[in-house]
Amino acid sequence: MRQLPLISRRVAAAAVSVVLLGGVAACGPEDSDSSGSKGGSGDAPREGGTLTVLNSQPQSDFDPARLYTSGGGNVPGLVFRTLTTRNRENGPAGAKVVPDLATDIGKPSKNATVWTYTLKDDLKYEDGSKITTADIKYGIERSFAAELSGGAPYLRDWLVGGDSYEGPYKEKKGLDSIETPDEKTIVFHLRKPEGDFPYLATGTQFAPVPKAKDTGTGYEKHPISSGPYKVVKNSGDGERLLLERNAHWSDKTDAERHAYPDTVDVRSGLDSAVINQRLSTGTGPDAAAVTTDTNLGPAELAQVSGDKKLADRVGTGHFGYVNYLAFNPKVKPFDNPKVRQAISYAINRTSVVNAAGGSSLAEPATTFLPERKYFGYTPYDHFPAGKTGNPDKARELLKKAGYQDGLKITLTHSTARNFETSPEVATALQEGLKKAGITVRLQGLEDNDYSEKTKSVQQAPGLFLSHWGADWPAGGPFLAPIFDGRQIVKDGSNYNAAQLNDKAVNDEIDAINKLTDLDAAAKRWGALDKKIGEQALTVPLFHPVYKRLYGADVKNVVISDWTGVLDVSQVAVR
Amino acid sequence: MSTEVLAAAQAGVPAPASGARQVWWRLRARRAAAVAGAGLGLLLLLALAAPLLSVLIGQDPNAYHDDLIDSARGGVPTGSYGGISGEHWLGVEPGTGRDLFIRLVYGARVSLLVAIGATVLQVLIGVSIGIAAGLGNRLLDGLLGHLSDVFIALPTLAFAIALTAVVPGDFPRPLLLILVIALLGWGGTARIVRAQTLSLKKLDFVAAARLGGSGPFRVARRELLPSLAAPVITYVAILLPTNIVAEAGLSFLGVGIRPPTASWGQMLSSATTWFRADPAYVLLPAGLLFLTVLAFTVLGDALRTALDPREASRLGVGRERTRRTRRTRTSRKGDPA
Repeated sequence: MRQLPLISRRVAAAAVSVVLLGGVAACGPEDSDSSGSKGGSGDAPREGGTLTVLNSQPQSDFDPARLYTSGGGNVPGLVFRTLTTRNRENGPAGAKVVPDLATDIGKPSKNATVWTYTLKDDLKYEDGSKITTADIKYGIERSFAAELSGGAPYLRDWLVGGDSYEGPYKEKKGLDSIETPDEKTIVFHLRKPEGDFPYLATGTQFAPVPKAKDTGTGYEKHPISSGPYKVVKNSGDGERLLLERNAHWSDKTDAERHAYPDTVDVRSGLDSAVINQRLSTGTGPDAAAVTTDTNLGPAELAQVSGDKKLADRVGTGHFGYVNYLAFNPKVKPFDNPKVRQAISYAINRTSVVNAAGGSSLAEPATTFLPERKYFGYTPYDHFPAGKTGNPDKARELLKKAGYQDGLKITLTHSTARNFETSPEVATALQEGLKKAGITVRLQGLEDNDYSEKTKSVQQAPGLFLSHWGADWPAGGPFLAPIFDGRQIVKDGSNYNAAQLNDKAVNDEIDAINKLTDLDAAAKRWGALDKKIGEQALTVPLFHPVYKRLYGADVKNVVISDWTGVLDVSQVAVR
Repeated sequence: MSTEVLAAAQAGVPAPASGARQVWWRLRARRAAAVAGAGLGLLLLLALAAPLLSVLIGQDPNAYHDDLIDSARGGVPTGSYGGISGEHWLGVEPGTGRDLFIRLVYGARVSLLVAIGATVLQVLIGVSIGIAAGLGNRLLDGLLGHLSDVFIALPTLAFAIALTAVVPGDFPRPLLLILVIALLGWGGTARIVRAQTLSLKKLDFVAAARLGGSGPFRVARRELLPSLAAPVITYVAILLPTNIVAEAGLSFLGVGIRPPTASWGQMLSSATTWFRADPAYVLLPAGLLFLTVLAFTVLGDALRTALDPREASRLGVGRERTRRTRRTRTSRKGDPA
């Protein structure tokens, strides 16, 4: 049912998050769950001071309607409160969804098609006026307006009437599927069961927007704050964003955000190497600086980990993300399961992980779902390649498939230098497959060309490097777009590269979406992942790990596994 | 005189009026040129013998050595100076553990192949167009003159990037680079050859040949080409290093040679981020590129002096200048400071 422009919008946003999160990677000691916890000196965090945020991507379109889902976790989260939010804790605990403006994460109807939320008491905007559910309804409706595009496509897909609604500027009447019986209650009517609705409600589209203050596309210059900070200055299309304390925000109604610094100064448009250099040198305001979109690259990690003082200032983050080899079984010889299995057996994951930046920046993967319980991670290794590949087993399978004299294939990758779909990874794979008698020809495509070809049903190459990140930490957004047969997009951006349309898989996806018990759902997603894995439609390669450097004066560093990003709402500089 | 010149030209040796043997002697007498020439000769030999060398020292340019790098530290080579060892003479590449020595040698292959190929093609195009313009009527001269002006004025790098990006990925990259560099860079040669042709055309022996009924092709081949050899050879010595840098630049930008083929530009490009963690990785391709370009320049300078000593001394290039500067330096030494 999803419309094409929306899908491509998601593609664009997914690509952006790739750039943000995967742009540069680097390494450090492998203690993923604890390394984020300590920051700066040991004494307790205090209020005051200015936190500088050095970013590569500008905060353009700083409008709650236009930000993509995970945007809600970083700088925008300081200004926009939403019905629910992510738990602001280190590591896996941070992947939990918790109430924000609402008193709970949502009360579902029996089949999870109706979701009801109640607001907390004493919620105020930056001007002291009261936040009501009508404002939240209006905020969501705005995101349907064509001129305020950028958000995730789920609302359009899930809400009754969402597929045809054109936003409050064109349709003053509003969306009937969002009801506000009183100013503290809001009810959503979905056209199909969606147990993941509380995750979606963390998106900035669920932030309140007072109708009287809405200036359409100009709203991004000064969105009305419901969070701990308000926008004082927004210049250069979000390149410089100056935030100051919002006096009407109270931590009595907000259990998640801290707001220690008095001022937050966001400076963007910087080169990632410059950001890491400034953070490591840490002179002047840079000592109290963090970044929310830049990782350490392999070379930077090598340098930082050689310096004890710098190494102590590196936090580790995980994000739901997988890098994999995608097969298109419509192209020979990948229609033959034995060929796909042989390639799975022959993969040298050690070389691949090294090409992606080494063991501190990438974890070898044999499962599609990342190694976290909330995704439903269920260990499996159907075609064990060991650490460096099993060329003998691969040869044996190739012989059975009729390729006893070796196999010649083409691997498509992008020429972008992202350590994910880049030439380094492709070359490492090529070298590994050579040992099994598989000759790989590399086809490097310019990034746009790569993205277009690999997502087209007609043009998709037989074998290509791919990656996928989830919009929220659950198995659904991870598996459904890749393996749901009804999500094959014939003339747009298609993510189901294998073009798998298996009734059993589709039915199971529908069944899990009905579950409102997120733990139970996770288990079933894990089982489904294991089941699909038997068909060898993808070869999971690695899950990335993010290393974040921060300034010497920065305290209370929290990096949750929801986004793998350093949480600016927790940081103190005094 | 002309028989000697012709014989030399036919033997494929640069043939100025003074004779190839004399040029060779003058070239050898300059130590810098001899060292540069020997160095380039060695590089050429290594490049030609790369596959043999690979077998001899047992290093494959594309073989990964995951055990030689520290995976937890971003893949930096273990050991000092970029992992130098008895087996890996110049260390290994971060992230892959590939042997740097053999990759540099294979990189030289690409660099020299592309640079020499492009230069040959540039000279072929440049000389043909230059002679045609010089000998042709006013219309042809104007047309070709403007054409070469346009090509000289083109922002070469921008066009090269655009051209290499639009060509399908299956097209052999070295050939593509040769074509792109040559097609964008023949303007200078054409202009020099045209000017030379115009002045030669007025000389008696050319005029005599034309009066004697020789067609333009015969005049070009028998009368002009031998006299054009000296300036063209000098210009080749400038073109070669320029083309090496052009290839490295395009590969550096990711539009030149594609992995896994080793090339200096590509090595430099991936090494840029490593300059702090593993300086050896940057210094090797950068140093080799620098030395190669320097050697070509020194050799080219010497060649110009050797080909035309009178002109060179008038312009103050070559040995005369070195002597003069040396003398001034000594005299300065005596001055009270």
